[in-house]
Amino acid sequence: MQNLWDRCLSRLDAEFSEQDILTWLKPLQVREEPGVLRLLAPNAFVLESVRERFLERIQEIGAFLAEGPLDVRLEVGSLNKPKPPPPPRANGRAEPAPVVHDDFESNLDSHYTFDNFVEGKSNQLGHAAAFQVAMNPGRRESNPLLLYGGTGLGKTHLMYAAGNLMRRNRPGFRVLYQRSEQFVSDMIKALNAKNMDDFKSRYRNVDALLIDDIQFFAGKDRTQEEFFHTFNALFESNQQIILTCDRYPKEVENMEPRLTSRLGWGLPVAIEPPDFETRAAILLRKAEQKGLKLTEEVAFMIARRMRSHVRDLEGALNTLSARAHFTGRLVTIEFAQEALRDLLTVQERALSIPNIQKMVADYSQLRVADLLSKRRTRHLARARQMAMALTKELTTHSLPEIGDAFGGRDHTTVLHACRLIAELRETDGKTREDWDKLIRALTSG
Amino acid sequence: MTTPQLPLNFRFPPRTRLAHFLPGDNAVALASVRQLLVDTGEFAGVLLAGPAGSGKTHLASSAVQEANTAQYLPLRSLGAQALPALEAALTTGLVVIDDVDAIAGRRAEEIALFDLFNRAKSDRARLLVTSAELPSRLAIHLPDLVSRLSSLVQHRLRLLPEFEVRAVLVDRARERGLDLSGEVLDFLMRRFPRDLGALISIVDQLDVASMAAQRRLTVPFIRRVIESVKT
Repeated sequence: MQNLWDRCLSRLDAEFSEQDILTWLKPLQVREEPGVLRLLAPNAFVLESVRERFLERIQEIGAFLAEGPLDVRLEVGSLNKPKPPPPPRANGRAEPAPVVHDDFESNLDSHYTFDNFVEGKSNQLGHAAAFQVAMNPGRRESNPLLLYGGTGLGKTHLMYAAGNLMRRNRPGFRVLYQRSEQFVSDMIKALNAKNMDDFKSRYRNVDALLIDDIQFFAGKDRTQEEFFHTFNALFESNQQIILTCDRYPKEVENMEPRLTSRLGWGLPVAIEPPDFETRAAILLRKAEQKGLKLTEEVAFMIARRMRSHVRDLEGALNTLSARAHFTGRLVTIEFAQEALRDLLTVQERALSIPNIQKMVADYSQLRVADLLSKRRTRHLARARQMAMALTKELTTHSLPEIGDAFGGRDHTTVLHACRLIAELRETDGKTREDWDKLIRALTSG
Repeated sequence: MTTPQLPLNFRFPPRTRLAHFLPGDNAVALASVRQLLVDTGEFAGVLLAGPAGSGKTHLASSAVQEANTAQYLPLRSLGAQALPALEAALTTGLVVIDDVDAIAGRRAEEIALFDLFNRAKSDRARLLVTSAELPSRLAIHLPDLVSRLSSLVQHRLRLLPEFEVRAVLVDRARERGLDLSGEVLDFLMRRFPRDLGALISIVDQLDVASMAAQRRLTVPFIRRVIESVKT
């Protein structure tokens, strides 16, 4: 016999739109007892909407179908048992931390280790710093460890790896990982429930505190203040702090100067976008982890054409792997080009010559028309050379094509620009910084 | 003047089942969605990008129908409720985010989705996201959100060829006991964009109108219905 709720649902199905049914009624779980229909909503938000829009009708239909009085109870809850912790990954080589009987439950994701981090020129320093901190947590000269750089470059991976290594070396070491949004919502909850003392002791009673993406503290004054105090308390008693941020904290708007200056006290390390070799190495490593057969040729093709961040590479690999799996085809270079066509064109479109010109012009506070003009003031000429060199680096256009696109210049002019910028990047700090910033801006997101 | 007879308020079983999805060029996307229904104990996510009428909502709602535990967040139609819905969403089972482009450029919603994504990943939930465009072409401001969306398996959905759209419409009409003549079909295909969802709803409405007017479905009748809707 069909149960009461299913019959009730098929009635409701005729009265409400399918979208309403899927959004509000489908997530409900049901426990039927004699005379009682207990509806469990996944959260208070769904519960309120159901109460407002559907409850009365559910009661009517329910009583009709039950042929007698029916008590419909709506509450937040779930029939499912909580999921058991994940089994350690077979190929992750992450040795589980020895079991320690302790009331502290680590929330670190054990998938991320130093072993499966792909090191390259762009993140070498970050890798070394995180490793050192993990071996010797709490030392003044590296407290806090601040890893900063664009999204999807491996900051969180290094942070987790450091936490996991600390716990492996020191069983029972209390490492608390928190994304900044969680810190904010924890604090708000504590404020509302008036138990800030619990909040404080939760965050201060640790051996290491890891906070991810602190740029989201921007504009939240109360959070910044609370974090400032937490920071001081931990710092004073030599507990290790590791933070990540999407840029150097002083560049984050709406952050308290006294907080940002403190964040720079310890060891700030920039994580740069991966270079070609690192991108290829990441692809090969991730393919191996997924059990996907990827030749170097294919990895090089993807690495050459996708230049932004590691998550893009991950997405390309996930997509490629799904396509290979469902079509049963081998991952040849032609197959990869076809399977990733949409993703690869997106990347190339983003890196058109006009795009690069616009970015360099904005960066140098010039107009694009200036870059294309005949004028050759020093500032203008340098910006133009920078834009040409970036175009050579980031696109597949030939030197004559680039010359044409920059107001009909000769290809030797472009070549000269490329050589000059390459030389200046070695000898001049400002040029190197401009180059890095522009590459980052052009290749992220 | 007599009032038109009200048609019976009788709904046909919704066709949103994966089995009803005509794959066309989208067979791999369909297979990916099917695979997402299985809980492997690991985080998994698929993003479907495509124009209106390419089947995004069909795949999303069928996935919700067929999954054991699922939450459905149609961001466009949730409107102002999208933010509380994102913030309250649990990260268990399958979480389906329909029309992610609807919140592009809205900072609070973008952050809430970013947070939901992170929670889903650490809770090993499964995510299905639909979008008009691939992530890097959306007007999303938060780079962290773009990068997370672009780490998913991504499929671009392509519109069904016209002959398949015709087949679906004839099928749909037959299910409602309605005969679509070749002439009427030609008219519909010329008059409206090749958006399957919209065309199906038009056929449904025409059916209701013809029942109410007790008239057969002819081109002149359809013209009159369209005119009366406009005025």
